[in-house]
Amino acid sequence: MEVAIIGCGVTKFGHIWDKDHDDLLVEAVYDALRDANLEMKDIDAVWCGTFYPFTGISGNVFSDSLKFFGKPISRVENYCATGMDNVRNACFAVASGAYDIVIASGVEKLIDAGSRGIPPIEGIFSIGMPAVSAPGMFALAANRAFKEWGWNREDLALVAVKNHYNGARHPKAHFRKEVTVEEVLKAPMVAYPLGVYDCSAVSDGAAAVVLTRPEIAKKLGCDYAVIKAIGMAVETMHPWHRPSESFLSFPATVKAAKMAYKMAGIENPRKQLDFGIVHDCFTITELINYQDMLLCKPGEGAKLIREGITAIDGDFPINPDGGLKSFGHPIAASGVRMISELAKQVLGKAEGLQVKDAEAGFAHNLGGPYSVATVAIVSKP
Amino acid sequence: MASISDCSVYLPVWKLKRDEIAKATGLPSLGGEKSVAHWDEDSITMAVEAGRMLKGSFDALLFASTSSPFRIKQSASIVASALDLENVFTMDFSNSFRASTSALITANELVDSGKFERILVVSADCIPIKPGNIYEQFYGDGAVAITVEKEGVAKIIGYNSHSQPLPGAWMLKDEIMSYDMRLDAMFGYASSIQRSAMSLLGKLGMSPMDFDRIVASAPDPKSYEGLLKAVGAKPEEFYFRSTGILGTAHPFLLLASQLEKKGRILLGGYGEGADVIAIEINESLQTNLGKMLESRKEISYSEYLYNKGFIANRDAPDRPPITKLWREEKSVIRFYGMKCNNCGTISYPINRCCVECGAKDNYEEVKLGYRGKIYTFTIDYLVSPGNYVGDGAHPHCVAVVDLEGGGRVLFEITDTLTDFKGIECDAEVERTFRLLFEKNNFRYYGWKARLAR
Repeated sequence: MEVAIIGCGVTKFGHIWDKDHDDLLVEAVYDALRDANLEMKDIDAVWCGTFYPFTGISGNVFSDSLKFFGKPISRVENYCATGMDNVRNACFAVASGAYDIVIASGVEKLIDAGSRGIPPIEGIFSIGMPAVSAPGMFALAANRAFKEWGWNREDLALVAVKNHYNGARHPKAHFRKEVTVEEVLKAPMVAYPLGVYDCSAVSDGAAAVVLTRPEIAKKLGCDYAVIKAIGMAVETMHPWHRPSESFLSFPATVKAAKMAYKMAGIENPRKQLDFGIVHDCFTITELINYQDMLLCKPGEGAKLIREGITAIDGDFPINPDGGLKSFGHPIAASGVRMISELAKQVLGKAEGLQVKDAEAGFAHNLGGPYSVATVAIVSKP
Repeated sequence: MASISDCSVYLPVWKLKRDEIAKATGLPSLGGEKSVAHWDEDSITMAVEAGRMLKGSFDALLFASTSSPFRIKQSASIVASALDLENVFTMDFSNSFRASTSALITANELVDSGKFERILVVSADCIPIKPGNIYEQFYGDGAVAITVEKEGVAKIIGYNSHSQPLPGAWMLKDEIMSYDMRLDAMFGYASSIQRSAMSLLGKLGMSPMDFDRIVASAPDPKSYEGLLKAVGAKPEEFYFRSTGILGTAHPFLLLASQLEKKGRILLGGYGEGADVIAIEINESLQTNLGKMLESRKEISYSEYLYNKGFIANRDAPDRPPITKLWREEKSVIRFYGMKCNNCGTISYPINRCCVECGAKDNYEEVKLGYRGKIYTFTIDYLVSPGNYVGDGAHPHCVAVVDLEGGGRVLFEITDTLTDFKGIECDAEVERTFRLLFEKNNFRYYGWKARLAR
């Protein structure tokens, strides 16, 4: 599969009290159109991601924001992997030849939920099951990793320090502030052992990408990056009820990664790719992602961060954009933003955060209690 | 006549020093301590805790309490379901501190008549009392379960009951009160017990000299001592200093302590009259009362107020429809999982397809074990205990537990307030029946886990 990214639009992420989801969506989409030098009338179909119903529930989220009527629009929702699943659906539609130019977008207004952390999703679980917050779900993995591999809170803190270092240099990040290990360790507890700086923030934002086939991109004379593969896997949303679950690996990621690597002909990601963007919703998640993305062996995730391998100037930079740690995680927008960050890197447009000689990289979007994962590979044409 | 063959006591994990109450309310301390339920316990859940320790099958379950959470909805049926009893006769006894002795008398008749073989009689109380109420120092929370059948260690040899309307303690809406406690002490308690006992002795053709000990639940410990003085006998341990008066469960608590030594006893229950039951203990029965008394933790007055619902916002988010509770009874209340016939995996809850191999409709329902080990856990500061939202007063601890015999379950860890010592990977836990949350004017029950006691 080869799909060209010809336009990227991302709003500033953060607590955007004075804008609604439609304002954000219009901003991101028009940004992407400007980047592609196209107009709304050139678009054949749209995928729009929203996770929470208070941002919107149907294709009308997009149609009514842009007043874009009479065309196919699908709303996609797939936990925190909503964003990249939108891109996946759009990719296959374009690649099949059904449409020529499409938009994949995502928007979320989390600040309106008026909640600390993302609001709990009720009604889908068994009555007997206790509620767990999103950090709580991933803290289950952290405590087991501590027990199994001897990782500790300092290892997690190093992830926050690295990503905040990068994010401090990204103009669209929610938090543009470096942090120290000590600050991370001293921050209030959210879900033991995860403190405030171990968690991505509750932020607002929108992102959009314009996709087409490479031959059309060439004809239009656009600069473009290529999506070479996109894999996805869905596992159980009750990992705590599956006896074989180790809590030391997220099987959805492993399966999505293998799918994408196979599609793109990658056997050794550390050698064949130059960098990656992983779903660092929590610091522990990033360390486990290193392993699940097959960058190292199980148990070695902490070693990668300790040795600086994943730093922006390291051997294999991870989250050179600052990750969810710096951007926050407006759920449906994140995966689309990741794709746009990949495109910028391989096109050499990641000002101030450019990974040296970045030719190809991956992005990974993880959702739910590690139940939904999407992995994309993007390279220079 | 029937016999008592087994007995089990449940005391909540918390005990509160009366000196702490005195300090907070400015009232004189009556000394000692009282038993305090965790916030997610009520008379139904404590009855399950006491009942689940008794082995064997039952064909009837009688539940006695003055503090049933529902005015309309039978408690005994909920207790029977949590204990996984099927096709049992269930009945609630309520409204009087004599409810427990009335239930025991009824069980005796049901067995004696040959209609029932083996009856579980369980009594529990968790009486609502506001801070500063004079009864705050008197009443404690707890439950006691008794097995009644034809043969057993203690034979019921007779009983007598009479009623006497006297304005003792009462509860009209949501708080216990009385006009004047002295009225009970002077004209109610001793005279009622004596009157009932004398009729009983007459019926049995026996004299007080034929009995070794007398225990009778009383509105206060002094009244009990006064009664024993009046009849010229030595008072037995009354447990006021260690548990407080457990409402209608108190006669059973006294019975539990008496079952530990042989002899002929008179057991009294008091409340608008008195029930007196003569029991011959032919074999001593070691109950779990001592273990329950020992495995408790001290609670501060402010944490006690939290447990009693006077501190913290407990607004639960919208919950699944109540019909779901009915559909999922086998998993949620009876606590069955499934064993896949294809891959052998035991999992929870019951689903049509196996979580490991996906095999469809190819499983057996299996009852899951009570004990297990923590695989992993977290202490979540974004959720309050019981899935309540908002700025909760306490974090909410959850753990992934591998149960003995198979099955992995995510449990809320209860009986913790702010101290999570001992909760770690591989820690031993046991499941315990609790209130999950209250929402839509309904109480949702289910299983949680606590550090093994």
